[in-house]
Amino acid sequence: MSDSVVWGVIIGMAVLNFLIRFLPIAAVSRVELPTPVMRWLEFIPVSVMGALVANTVVRPGGEFIVPWSNPWVIACAVTALAYRVTRSFLGATVIGMVSFVIVRALLGA
Amino acid sequence: MPDGPLEDTRGAKEPGALLRGIRLGFPIFLGYVPAGMAFGILARTIGFSVFEATVCSATALAGAGQFIALEVIKTTGTVAAVLVATSVVNLRYVLFGSTISPYLRAAPARVQGILAFSLTDETFAVNITDLREGRATWRSMAGVGAIAWTGWVLGTALGAAFAGLIGDPNRFGVEFAMPAMFTALFVALAENRRQVLIGLLGAAIVIALPLLQAVGIAIPPSWYVVVASMVAATLGAVIFR
Repeated sequence: MSDSVVWGVIIGMAVLNFLIRFLPIAAVSRVELPTPVMRWLEFIPVSVMGALVANTVVRPGGEFIVPWSNPWVIACAVTALAYRVTRSFLGATVIGMVSFVIVRALLGA
Repeated sequence: MPDGPLEDTRGAKEPGALLRGIRLGFPIFLGYVPAGMAFGILARTIGFSVFEATVCSATALAGAGQFIALEVIKTTGTVAAVLVATSVVNLRYVLFGSTISPYLRAAPARVQGILAFSLTDETFAVNITDLREGRATWRSMAGVGAIAWTGWVLGTALGAAFAGLIGDPNRFGVEFAMPAMFTALFVALAENRRQVLIGLLGAAIVIALPLLQAVGIAIPPSWYVVVASMVAATLGAVIFR
């Protein structure tokens, strides 16, 4: 990992993250977004999270593992359940990590 | 909506509003310290120095976006791929910003800037609730942002600094910290049937995308999440019109 890549990422992320957050606030406080755009935006958070989670747990490290012997998928289900019950991000994250370690050990992966 | 509480200047000047925000945001602080530590440790394993990891958290303040960045650096190693991936993941802030902006019409541009910088999934959730109850002022929102930022940066610095002592963080399941947070966030975001359906659609599409190779369409793996979420959100907007 070269220093120029690391700093390119740091500076690029700082600038882009700020623009993505600031421009809508600056612009939308002046104009109304068209309804179809708002509707599309409404589905962005949940589709990003769904795709992100599935991509990470079904193909950890880029390799497909069948769900029943995949600790990532099993721990993911435990985490989802834990969040539904506790409604706590912290609690669900910790329970998820612990279940991941346990399932991985049980599967001998 | 346009008559947000921020137009009430007495509210904005109320002493203690900042402190109230800090108190409101304290649970976020408690969550961000360990998540930041996970980021700090992972960043070290990928080749960031303690300083670089801490600066990254302090300037980007993008939990999911930063973890994605590490993932993409590991797999492709190009700056452009990292920036595209992190920006797409952070596109949801366009929605958050659009949702919160009607309340910020009366705020000066520099205040809008500060609040935009501290906009995360968690600060958004706390502030929008507080705004809808008519209590939030820009000072209280700045307080929520400040305490969240402090937790994230402190956690990152601690995790990065003690990464060596902690050893292989994967022993403790740290590699699952990010998927676990995303899973919890997904359940939190999927608040009604439509949202659940479109979220699961995004998941199904991302799993199926490699199959397109059979018909000669090869999408680079770093684009899977981008393509799947765009397609799912578009279908959602078309189906539920």
